Amino acid sequence: MLEEIKSLRKAPEEEYYVPGHRTCAGCGPALQYRLVAKAAGPNTIFLGPTGCMYVANTSYGCGPWAVPWIHTQITNGGAVASGIEAAYKAIIRKKKTDAEFPNIIVMAGDGGSSDIGLQALSAAFYRGHNILFIAYDNESYANTGIQTSPTTPYGAWTTFSPAGPVIPEGKKLMPKDLPKMMAHGHPELKYLATASLSYPLDLMNKVRKGLNAEGPAFLYIHAPCPKGWSFPADKTIEMGKLAVETGMFQLYELHEGQYKLTYQPKEIKPVEEYIKLQGRFSHLQPEHIQKLQQFANGRLKEVGIEVSVPAQ
Amino acid sequence: MGVVKRISGCVATATAVKLADVDVICSYPIRPYTGIMSELARMVADGELDAEFVYGEGEHGQLSVVYGASASGARTFTGSSGVGVTYAMEVYSPISGERLPVQMAIADRTLDPPGDFGSEHTDALCCRDQGWIQGWAATPQEALDMTLMYYRIGEDPRVLLPQYACQDGYFVSHILGEVDIPEAAKVKEFLPPYKNHHVLDVRTPQIIGAQMEPKMGPGMQYQRYQAIEGSRKVIEEVHDEFGRLFGRKYNPWVEEFMTDDAEVALFIQGGHAETAKTVVRRLRNLGEKVGLVRLRTFRPFPTQQVRDALSKFKVVGTVDNSVNFGISGAAGVLLTEARTAMYGMGDKIPTVGFVAGLGGEMITHDEFYKMFMKLKEIAKAGKADKENYWLPFEL
Repeated sequence: MLEEIKSLRKAPEEEYYVPGHRTCAGCGPALQYRLVAKAAGPNTIFLGPTGCMYVANTSYGCGPWAVPWIHTQITNGGAVASGIEAAYKAIIRKKKTDAEFPNIIVMAGDGGSSDIGLQALSAAFYRGHNILFIAYDNESYANTGIQTSPTTPYGAWTTFSPAGPVIPEGKKLMPKDLPKMMAHGHPELKYLATASLSYPLDLMNKVRKGLNAEGPAFLYIHAPCPKGWSFPADKTIEMGKLAVETGMFQLYELHEGQYKLTYQPKEIKPVEEYIKLQGRFSHLQPEHIQKLQQFANGRLKEVGIEVSVPAQ
Repeated sequence: MGVVKRISGCVATATAVKLADVDVICSYPIRPYTGIMSELARMVADGELDAEFVYGEGEHGQLSVVYGASASGARTFTGSSGVGVTYAMEVYSPISGERLPVQMAIADRTLDPPGDFGSEHTDALCCRDQGWIQGWAATPQEALDMTLMYYRIGEDPRVLLPQYACQDGYFVSHILGEVDIPEAAKVKEFLPPYKNHHVLDVRTPQIIGAQMEPKMGPGMQYQRYQAIEGSRKVIEEVHDEFGRLFGRKYNPWVEEFMTDDAEVALFIQGGHAETAKTVVRRLRNLGEKVGLVRLRTFRPFPTQQVRDALSKFKVVGTVDNSVNFGISGAAGVLLTEARTAMYGMGDKIPTVGFVAGLGGEMITHDEFYKMFMKLKEIAKAGKADKENYWLPFEL
């Protein structure tokens, strides 16, 4: 049982995701990885479906983990985790090992969770394996040079959704709501939460709650990407905060059938304050920004936060 | 003492999996291999086998589950047929690349089209060069023995490679044969529990499957090449030991049937060889000098043994039960492999390819008879008028 971390000062000093990798300056996914590993501790096996957190971390055949790590295809993080869990159950029961049952954590990107990895993810949760599946959302296929994924917001520029005279807004589709998909329809689900690297204490405690749950737990972590979103590398934390404060991302958890908002901004800021700092939205016209405001308002309403910025 | 039972290839394989005390099984239904999984599910439900039985979400998921389980130190089993085999394609190379000795049974089925339930080796042959040990059983007895021997070969620290244990769908998987089932204690002696020090264990942290830079690539691929080439010695040792312990002695590479003084012979793999043997026997009774060579291990391909076996004939006909559209020789992979093995003897010994039994059609006695007559004709003429014959259209 992992205990609640009462304050940032009381967080463990030990690091299990250590320096020595090649992620970009200000990389959101790397920052959240460090927090996850710290919260999970030494009895942990990480799985890395193909994505930034595989490629940038393991270049040259080495990696920054002080715990075991295994690569999976971008398609199959959930299935490989199921196999590790089933193996440990069997070999512990059959006394073929004297190891303790480990924390099994999949660290998948938004593509490896909401898109090509969705089938394996859903199957693992349906079967009820005791794993923690983390989707770190940097809102694009970033490792391949920024292509749109199902969680790329409406209006964002990517190399597959460039803005042009015919398609002025770039990305035309609204993003897939993966936590909602996971929350409903997986009867074995034991814990689900969203988190942001800009709220580190909340993030670490959600990791621990997920690991303490006896069964599948899902954590969806918002992880801004300076390169993909085109903002300065020292603004990652600010960007994560602004996403929550403008209603573009909400922090909540689902435990024992009950939803709970885990952070409620005092005042909701207009979406424009968030997107004006990001080059990927620089082409948007007022009507496109209004659509994003409508999107944020809709999501806020869904989780029960009062909408205070009108959208036309 | 073992017992003798009349069981199908599917049940024989499942029985071997139980005897191997497998820890993690991952299923997904597709005919005809499904029979293996339903038998295993029954064994788990009845308490005959203590294993985690995981419902895969598809074949890609099946292979992914056993990838993770094997990397954690479990002995694993999965299987498939037809398009299921090709659906999992992405995962075969990572499994052999991480040197995980998982075993997959393949009961062959056609790909789509024609999409029927019939057997064709195309499915398993699509994945032939992925660093897996691979071979075909021709009878339920051989299916059982192969499963046990393949675990032993694949888990040998000198090998550490996965294995495709193939059997023809229906012709082997669903036809009953007499099977001598060895006793569990003797199997345990032959196949001790799987031990691998390179597993996911928090007490010995290691990184499995890190991304390599191109300059590290040649070394990594060279190791996999050395593993499969090095497995030849282990394959021979394991077959020897199996023969000593269980009394069934197999030539690991090729089975020769009535090849003494034979002038023409067919080169074939899988269950159709059993039909062909009947034809060989009948023709021998009529005084015809015909024989048959059945390939038992396809990967690693026994180049020297095939060369030795085939170079004593005047003409060799290969029987391909697969489609390889556009391949050199325009027949199938057995023709090209046989020719490669016999390179340098091509002028002396004509090789022709027969493509037969596609879409799961049986290869009839009459068709095998026609093949032998064609080989005789070529032997007499000294050369073939054509290098391949697609049955039943061209012969």
